[in-house]
Amino acid sequence: MQKKVLTEQALYVGDVDMPKDWDIDRDKLSGDILQSVIQNKDFPFSRTWDMLNTYMRDHVGLEYGVNLINKKTWGNIYKPGETTIPLLNIDPVDLRNSPDFTLLYGVKVKDCMVRIHFEDNRRKGRSWDIELKNNMFIMFPSTNMYYLTNNQKDSLNFVQTITYEYI
Amino acid sequence: MAHFAKLGSNGKVIQVLTLNNGDMLNADGVEDESVGQQYLETHNNWPAQMWIQTSYNTSGNTHSSGDNSKSFRGNYAGIGYTWDEDDQIFWPKKPYASWVKHNESASWKSPIGDAPALTAEQTSQNEANTHRWGYEWNEANTTWDLTDAHA
Repeated sequence: MQKKVLTEQALYVGDVDMPKDWDIDRDKLSGDILQSVIQNKDFPFSRTWDMLNTYMRDHVGLEYGVNLINKKTWGNIYKPGETTIPLLNIDPVDLRNSPDFTLLYGVKVKDCMVRIHFEDNRRKGRSWDIELKNNMFIMFPSTNMYYLTNNQKDSLNFVQTITYEYI
Repeated sequence: MAHFAKLGSNGKVIQVLTLNNGDMLNADGVEDESVGQQYLETHNNWPAQMWIQTSYNTSGNTHSSGDNSKSFRGNYAGIGYTWDEDDQIFWPKKPYASWVKHNESASWKSPIGDAPALTAEQTSQNEANTHRWGYEWNEANTTWDLTDAHA
């Protein structure tokens, strides 16, 4: 008897464990997110962002053999009590140019819940909840719809999103 | 061309980059690992001490030129290798849980040593292509098992 896995929906979760004194400068990232949101401009490239991106690409490649290529990146600010609309980072009519993975990184977050929807063959409409914390990442297939909730009433949540293709 | 391994926090190699020899020359014009490390820190956003030079021509503590005095840090680092600072060796992944480090050859060895040599009869049968005798490691019993791939 044999088993062949045809496809899998894997989620990668963890902290960005940078070397000592080389932590991701989350103040810089939140400032860049604020700037890009207020000015409605593309998220600016920075040394800090590059450190985060390189860390993810290197470590996902090392641990899981998944080689990632960048597609897009942007930052979002979520107001207290806000729940996003369901988010989907692929274009269903242009899958060729859609990303494979979506990465969420907690830049400055508090009580930030992420709900990721998935289908388990005929068991449709399932979801998986996880709290996104500061300096934590969640990476999942971009074909999964998700939404974020800012569960507290005091502060904004800053979340960085990076989408990837794999080769 | 020089090669440097990028280490993760746990000492695992996460990337190997090449560097122009000219980018690692010190004030006296001599190649200096620390200069290369500093160059890589500046251009790759990763701390200097976590870039370790490795030799493309070294494998199993031997040098491809045949002059093993030139061998450097055991093995050419690959992604997933582990840097052993104490022994100054890049170790490949441990093939079996029971295997132990052998520093002289910068390789993993079974706890009972290498596989026995094939007998003259087995060797001749292999050459005649009637059998393909070989030893395979049996981790459950920690023994070398004789197998015939043609069987």
